[in-house]
Amino acid sequence: MTDRAIIDRMDASLSGAAPLPRDNGELVFEEPWQGRALGIGVAVMDRFHIPSDEFRTHLVAAIRAHPQTPGESAATAYYGAWIEALERLLAQRRLLSRPNGETPPPS
Amino acid sequence: MTDEHDHGHGAGGAHHPHPASDAELRARALEALLVEKGLISTDAVDAVVEMYEHDVGPQNGAKVVARAWVDPEFRRRLLADGTAAIAELGFGGAEGSKMAVVENTPSVHNVIVCTLCSCYPWPVLGLPPTWYKSAAYRSRVVAEPRAVLAEFGLEIGPEVELRVWDSSAEVRYLVLPERPPGTENLTEEELTALVPRDAMIGTARALEPEAVR
Repeated sequence: MTDRAIIDRMDASLSGAAPLPRDNGELVFEEPWQGRALGIGVAVMDRFHIPSDEFRTHLVAAIRAHPQTPGESAATAYYGAWIEALERLLAQRRLLSRPNGETPPPS
Repeated sequence: MTDEHDHGHGAGGAHHPHPASDAELRARALEALLVEKGLISTDAVDAVVEMYEHDVGPQNGAKVVARAWVDPEFRRRLLADGTAAIAELGFGGAEGSKMAVVENTPSVHNVIVCTLCSCYPWPVLGLPPTWYKSAAYRSRVVAEPRAVLAEFGLEIGPEVELRVWDSSAEVRYLVLPERPPGTENLTEEELTALVPRDAMIGTARALEPEAVR
């Protein structure tokens, strides 16, 4: 699957419950890390053939756990939750031994 | 944005005009971990980032339209086989779906929709606008297209036939808007600036040159 096809699919899946931040239809990235967060998600979805609805479930839970705070932009809150959703997904599927993002010691 | 921004080396490579947020640090840590474990590559992440920087977006569609305006042979091929003609410009690959181009004329106005979900001519228009995916647009543009277009500020006279094209996984449509008057002396590149995304969906017209000066 191409990156575009994956994003298309994720976009459609997320559009109701947790839509990607947009301005006038275009995706909004306020800082480069937010675009990278999207890219990490696409790479993980592609690598492990994750159904987009599975990711959506984690994203909705992450947004609920960490709603946007005063002084935080919508895109920062969203992509913060996005990263947390990826962490949750990787943990649930046991794809990482250290799902909290700590770098494990060299094996 | 500072001019020091580094787009090529995401995990920890970028310079920041302010301290990194917690979310940013977590994003960097996650990318670094996934890359270190060999689960994803930095290149895979870069590819997505670059897509949004340079590639996806309605400017691809605008190039197709401008070419059709200046090159009658291309226009003929475009209307006969949209997929092949668009591929000539290097755009394509919409998951195997066919691209069909429908032409606006003084007597016919076309508008596209996806009544079932949000099928959209991705390779040429990038990401669909939110309203395109709304239930209201999807149902109403079929039932009362003139009223919906009027809400977009586009009045279509009663003498003009309105055609609504329902996109699907198999066929995705692109509207070829009418070339605005007073553009005879513009170059192909200048013409692309007159083609907003909505003109290729059919909810707007191409811009007149005065509008972009």
